[in-house]
Amino acid sequence: MRGCRVCRGLIPEAIYGDLEAGSREKLDRHLARCPECACLFADLAATVRKFDVRTAPAAPPEFWERLEKRMAAEAPRPSRAVLVPRWACGLAGAVVILALGIFIGRELTRRTAQPVVATRAVSQGAAPVTLRAAHYLKRSRVLILAVVNADLATEDPFGLNLPLQKKTSEALMIEAAALKKELGGTDRRLERLLSDLEMILLQIANLKPDPDSADIDVIRAGVESRDILFKIQLDEARRSTNKSGAGLAPVPRGGDLARATV
Amino acid sequence: MSPRDEARWTDRLASGDPSAFRDFVEAYKNKVYGLAYEMTRNHADAEDVAQVAFMKVHRAVRTIRPGGGLNSWLYQIVYNTAVDHIRKRSILPRETLSPFGPDAPVEGPPDPAPGPEAEAEAACLRRRIDAALTKISERERAVFILRHYHDLKLKEIAASLGITLGAAKSYLFRSLRKLQKELGGAEPCPDKGERP
Repeated sequence: MRGCRVCRGLIPEAIYGDLEAGSREKLDRHLARCPECACLFADLAATVRKFDVRTAPAAPPEFWERLEKRMAAEAPRPSRAVLVPRWACGLAGAVVILALGIFIGRELTRRTAQPVVATRAVSQGAAPVTLRAAHYLKRSRVLILAVVNADLATEDPFGLNLPLQKKTSEALMIEAAALKKELGGTDRRLERLLSDLEMILLQIANLKPDPDSADIDVIRAGVESRDILFKIQLDEARRSTNKSGAGLAPVPRGGDLARATV
Repeated sequence: MSPRDEARWTDRLASGDPSAFRDFVEAYKNKVYGLAYEMTRNHADAEDVAQVAFMKVHRAVRTIRPGGGLNSWLYQIVYNTAVDHIRKRSILPRETLSPFGPDAPVEGPPDPAPGPEAEAEAACLRRRIDAALTKISERERAVFILRHYHDLKLKEIAASLGITLGAAKSYLFRSLRKLQKELGGAEPCPDKGERP
């Protein structure tokens, strides 16, 4: 029944009388028309009542005496370090920080004075995009797996953290647009994958606050029909092959070829 | 502990009043020991954890700030100490930490007119509750115990255990569901064989 997930999440607070009046009314209305949730409520309330036969364990009466004895035995003895005046510690700290500052400053100025050695121009420009794309795909995969594997039929109402997943989807959609722009046609396969992902992420971002299994099924079907997870895996495999075999690195296109030389 | 009580204790402890710490221990020993026992499930370990927790409070007594949430801070210390103790216990052989065997189940409130049958039934249920509590995770147990026996609100529990409010709600739901499953069936009394 609709609203079961939300209402089940309110049951523990209702049992302990922590629920606000509005939420309690909402829960009562739901319980009146949902026998499954009403049964769960009654079962959990009965479980809590069972604990009445058992009181919380109490500390032994001589607890303080034993604690006092232990504290005396484990009290720290005054060490030589305690005898050093505070101002001396402060002074030593200041000297260390000053020396460290001079050392770092010298190192930095020495580095900027060195001539910049040109490396492969292609790797300088491309590395951040590919790295970001790999990270992006990893995050998308985790998000999609969390949503498509969510089993709304289970009783745990806290299994799917939808507000967070919707927010992440929105952030990923923005990032996808930026990545596609930066790729600028250099990796068509990755761009197609990003476009496919955008569709799925849009569906996740537009999920209702209390989705039913049909909504998740639509997303699951989209992921399956576009082979999203397989494509992500393929892209990762391609990336790891490129990384392991230096000779297999993608050849830069057209004008970049000239810049690719050292 | 009400906010006013909390402020009073904070002031007394921070003022350096020599009797304040002892009074504080006397006032809170049952709560601290209670949580320590529920986490460790052993009286010897519970006393050790409770003592270490109070010693940590004593060491940090000057850093307590008014309105800093003394209650949550205390429970946080007890919970973390208990978890550390459990981890240590799982590494070291059991005999090195406690010479005692498995503890007797926690006693219940005195029944006004307990017949022998009702008494036996209550004792059986207490044993089943004790057994059920060992079947849930440390976090779930801590959240349930703090809500049920220590009457902490979920917000305070979240602050004590360093988790979000949503996570505290989730742990409470899961713990209740698991306990319900454990205590639901009409199983025989675990071991002991005291049932008539």
